Amino acid sequence: MAVTDKEFLRYSRQILLPEVGEQGQNRFKQSHILIIGVGGLGTLTAQYLAAAGIGKITLVDGDVVELSNLPRQLLFSKEDLGVNKAQVAAIKLMRAYEDCEIYSYCEYLSAANTNDLFSSKPSEFDLLLDCSDNFDVRQLVNLQAIKQGITLVSASAAHFQGQLLSINQQISPESGCYHCLYPSDMSVSQTCQTIGVLGPMVGTLASMQALMSLNLLLDVDVLKPSLDETAAKTKINGNQLLGKLFRFDGGKFTWRQASLLRDPNCSVCSA
Amino acid sequence: MISIFLNDEVMSIADGSSLTDVLKRRTIAENGVALVLNAEVVPRSRWPHIMCQQDDTLEVFSVVAGG
Ligand SMILES: [Zn+2]
Repeated sequence: MAVTDKEFLRYSRQILLPEVGEQGQNRFKQSHILIIGVGGLGTLTAQYLAAAGIGKITLVDGDVVELSNLPRQLLFSKEDLGVNKAQVAAIKLMRAYEDCEIYSYCEYLSAANTNDLFSSKPSEFDLLLDCSDNFDVRQLVNLQAIKQGITLVSASAAHFQGQLLSINQQISPESGCYHCLYPSDMSVSQTCQTIGVLGPMVGTLASMQALMSLNLLLDVDVLKPSLDETAAKTKINGNQLLGKLFRFDGGKFTWRQASLLRDPNCSVCSA
Repeated sequence: MISIFLNDEVMSIADGSSLTDVLKRRTIAENGVALVLNAEVVPRSRWPHIMCQQDDTLEVFSVVAGG
């Protein structure tokens, strides 16, 4: 698949980057990204990815648009109140970015519907993005990432705290998984509903999540090890991003980085 | 006694204190936080087995699950 003239013009500022080029743009076009949660993070991340020329995006959310979402979920407006978020986002994004096919799955991710979503083997998804707003779904997303062997890019934000991490069990098993870092019996006090959040705080994490996703796509080794050796000569080293936890304090404006480490007793990735 | 940095603040603790001991001293519930020691995550099951060293940098934080 070659980049068309129209695509070349539209994505010229991306193709101009030696790290992207026509090959990278093609890679974006051939990618399918699954996004769980279409709230503050999911709407913005999906918009960046659709705008960048990602070929397919699947949006998953059972929630409907509410008035209190509008300060940070910039894709939505008053007319969308009461309508399913995945559905509204898919319609609006496809209208704005016609190169991107967007599928909406208008249910919350649950143990009951994961088989449905991940029916194709091997998985049709190149990346799994966690943009959800609660801890239980985050554990479920992590479990699916491991089961399906997909790279997970997990972002979160609440109050003035943001966290971002990416993992892949095949490529970086020593980094473990989300459950190694946050076992499922953890007590969770902070959610946007109970503690509040500013729009740009969520936007910062969404931008970083989208950037990390594009960088990971540019490094084919990170996604499908030894599958596509001819395309392996990229300058982005996605391995530098995998297995790292980034934490942003939006009050103090500090970023911290740490290496993730597998828990040998983890019930999810070490089972 | 040795001194370590806990979330950027100096803290004095007895030589031979484990990561679990540090949390106990600060009355931080174990199931409410994750730990980073010298820029590396330490899974909870390892906390009782890791002894703090002089000038260790320890970060204690909660999970952020919002989105
Ligand atoms: Zn694990």
